[in-house]
Amino acid sequence: MARHSPVSGRYVTIDVDGMEYKVFYLQNGTGQPLICQHTAGCHNHQWRGLLEDEEITKNYNVIAYDLPRHGKSDPPHNSRWWESEYKLTADHYVNFILKLCDALELRDPIFMGSSFGGNVALQLALRHPDRFKAVIPVEASDYAPGFFLDWWRHPHSNAAQVCASGTWDLMAPQSPEMDRWLTWFYYSQGSESFKGDLYFYSVDHDLREELERIDGRKCPVIMMTGTYDYLTTPEMTENTARRIKGGVYIEMEDIGHFPMSENYPVFKIYLKEALRIIHERKG
Amino acid sequence: MATDLKSWAVKFKNLSDSDKALSAMARYYTCTYMWDMGEAKVIIEMLDGKVRNINIDPAPLDAYDFALRASAQTWREFARPVPRPMFHGIWAASFRHDLTMEGNILVMMQNLRNFTLQFEMLRKCGVPV
Repeated sequence: MARHSPVSGRYVTIDVDGMEYKVFYLQNGTGQPLICQHTAGCHNHQWRGLLEDEEITKNYNVIAYDLPRHGKSDPPHNSRWWESEYKLTADHYVNFILKLCDALELRDPIFMGSSFGGNVALQLALRHPDRFKAVIPVEASDYAPGFFLDWWRHPHSNAAQVCASGTWDLMAPQSPEMDRWLTWFYYSQGSESFKGDLYFYSVDHDLREELERIDGRKCPVIMMTGTYDYLTTPEMTENTARRIKGGVYIEMEDIGHFPMSENYPVFKIYLKEALRIIHERKG
Repeated sequence: MATDLKSWAVKFKNLSDSDKALSAMARYYTCTYMWDMGEAKVIIEMLDGKVRNINIDPAPLDAYDFALRASAQTWREFARPVPRPMFHGIWAASFRHDLTMEGNILVMMQNLRNFTLQFEMLRKCGVPV
């Protein structure tokens, strides 16, 4: 008998800042919408553990989309995108997420993102606190310089393997080998977009002067970072959360920058705590 | 405990040459690199995925494509079976500790998959410092 997963995939077409995007997303569960953003240069398989977790999906409608130019979401269909260098900006990223949530008719969603997804979660809490029940920025901080590098898309090397092996020690050595290699495999597929994503992550995203304007009492901001994350360290995240009114910081032991993908069972322990806090504060 | 250089080189070569993950993409893994561990330096010469030679006493003008340099203490941290945070990889240690990557970094990037695997073999064979 075939072993079908309860997760389903679908496309939705939206227009963002004049770009027409056919967006692919995976979905499973019922109840409170929990919309999930993968990390830079990657795709929604990072959320494979969460999507099939019955303990979560019995109360949460988990949606994991592929950002345009990632996974099964194409570049824009109405633009000669190959004639320019891709650079993701904070404005466009935020606008995309809002348009997607509206297209999927998500009421009071919780937004969770990791790495550049975590950084955009902070942007959403700043710019649109009324649109989201809460945000969970994973492996995020107010400012994360140093990763917008030519190496990710260098024509003289195997860019696929540079992206995959260059992000290898963002993961903790304790994380299961299969899950680390799966994450490596996903990263080998995103080399055309990784560098452009990191323009947002390391250049355009800078909230060092803005954190005090985020009100975590209105839109809870629950930040989580792994102790093996060298790029956004636990200290960086803690310092960010401390400056946000009502901000919460949860430190995740023995896990790295791709927690939901490299070691879902450990990540789940901390995710449940974040969801519990949100439920306590907002119902 | 520091392993003497000669026996370390034999151990490392055997580990590397028998590693299945490295062998799965061995062809064209050809480069020469230095590991400068402060108290000891080695130049490892790779040819199509096999260790061709390990120079355990490099002379001033012995050539290599690229180098990793760090203090002996940092290299000892790399060699723990489960390294502590920020000592668990070359990127981590270059961002957060005293590891530097020098020379023709393009060659390192071209061979990054297998080079990363070899670096982690130190957790099994230790370091000679």
